[in-house]
Amino acid sequence: MGAVIELKNVTYSYPLTDTPALKDFSCTIEEGKFYGVIGSNGAGKTTLCSLIRGFAPDFFKGELSGDVLVYGKPTSEYAPGELSLKIGYVFQNPFNQISGVKDTLFEEVAFGLENFGVPVDEIEERVTRVMELTNITDLAEKNPFELSGGQQQRVALASIIVLEPDILVIDEPTSQLDPEGTESVFKIIKAMKEQKKTIILVEHKIDLIAEYADEVLVLHEGELIRSGDKQQVLSDMSLLEKGVQLPQMAILGSRLIQQGLPLSYVPITEAQGAQVIGQAMQKGRV
Amino acid sequence: MTWREKLRLHKSNPLAALYPSSKLLVVLLYSFCTMLIGTIKVGAGHYPLWLIPWFLVVPVLCAASGIFKRFCHAFTKVLAIVVIIFVVQSLLIPDKVVVWQLGFLKVYQSGLQSAIYLSFCILNIAGIFVWMFQTTEYKEMSRALEDSGMDYKAAYVFISTLQMINILGKNSRTIMNAQRARGVETQGNMLVRAKAFFPSLVPLILGAITNSEERVLTLESKGFDVKCKKTHLFELERTGKEPVVNVISIIITLAVVVWRVALWVL
Repeated sequence: MGAVIELKNVTYSYPLTDTPALKDFSCTIEEGKFYGVIGSNGAGKTTLCSLIRGFAPDFFKGELSGDVLVYGKPTSEYAPGELSLKIGYVFQNPFNQISGVKDTLFEEVAFGLENFGVPVDEIEERVTRVMELTNITDLAEKNPFELSGGQQQRVALASIIVLEPDILVIDEPTSQLDPEGTESVFKIIKAMKEQKKTIILVEHKIDLIAEYADEVLVLHEGELIRSGDKQQVLSDMSLLEKGVQLPQMAILGSRLIQQGLPLSYVPITEAQGAQVIGQAMQKGRV
Repeated sequence: MTWREKLRLHKSNPLAALYPSSKLLVVLLYSFCTMLIGTIKVGAGHYPLWLIPWFLVVPVLCAASGIFKRFCHAFTKVLAIVVIIFVVQSLLIPDKVVVWQLGFLKVYQSGLQSAIYLSFCILNIAGIFVWMFQTTEYKEMSRALEDSGMDYKAAYVFISTLQMINILGKNSRTIMNAQRARGVETQGNMLVRAKAFFPSLVPLILGAITNSEERVLTLESKGFDVKCKKTHLFELERTGKEPVVNVISIIITLAVVVWRVALWVL
């Protein structure tokens, strides 16, 4: 699997700020993998998304040193709109992701396709399919401004997915959702992963990252302090000292090991926990 | 039924269903006729009295388009402004001829002339615009604008501005409630309301500015800036009656022009 996005020694500061939002940041995003980005507020997660999408520095201005390459080409060399077919970007605030010119949800989801000049028959077919996938078909004739926050978040996701980009950058898609809605958003993301899309997801709900992601990037004060396979990263207890949230199961697992229970590895999800703890307890009994 | 057919507007009223450009022609010609009729002076006082019966056209047109209730609603709002203009104009323009006197208040002839002219011009023109905007949906307008060759970006600005009015109204109510919860008094007499004005207006405007930044990014991520021919899911149909309406409105305008010229010549 090849690298689709590469950041090489990237340091970026927003205009009128003294401290850089990202410091000497290097990472490689490989095709078809699901990356979870975690870190406390202000750690630079959203800045990372903007850099990958090319909004920083093109739109936000500010100072950038180092290279941000998408398919081997610097983001600043892409023509306007060219990256939107390659990278789908879903922002934090769903309310501001409504185009503001459409009065039904169906047309709202179709807006991007209209801009790309996709033939009308194909628009209809694709929008219908994506609305079923994201479970918003019942709302199709409603005004997008009259939806609840959770519904708007699913709409925001749908109107990007419909463009069928190869890479999805999703910034906190579940901030306004109840547990059920969160689960449904993750199911959508999982379906995207099955379609071999590369996914970069910023999310605070660590248990869901542990469950669904392949790799985890941990940001702290603008620096990448840990990255790699989720199993390794999320079972690293030293991250707790940096204020990084870890899955409850991983904390429980490592405490149990400290107490002398012979776990074969530190579990990070419920299923793993049930498995390793069960094994260890059986061994103890024998 | 396909979605495209569902999204199409099915208006039963033939006047409301007219193509927007045809409605615009009616609006422009009506406004022109209003100005012209305003120059016709009647009687010894030289008042532009023809504007008053001319105004009957608007409510009749609105009733025929099936929006009489909405017209009345908008009309009462315009009326308040017009009454103020009428009173101020008639009292404040001095002249030799006093038409009517109550104590120190004097209504002069040229004041009354100007008052009738201004207030009925406003009623007529505002009324016909109410008719157009109440019978036409925003998306019809934007589609018609784009079809007439307007740049899609300009059409976007036009439509999103109109839609933004409703949204800002909603936001301002939210902010008012938030400020009230913090102890800012927003209800009461004029002075209290004036004091509440700034704490509620500043967050509204600043919020709108920061929101617009994110909206730009949204548009960019949905390929708004891509140079290619755009497609449209929403189809706008002509009813077929547009030429008839256009011809009728042009004939009426010509008749008004002939009438005006005849009065000059004779």
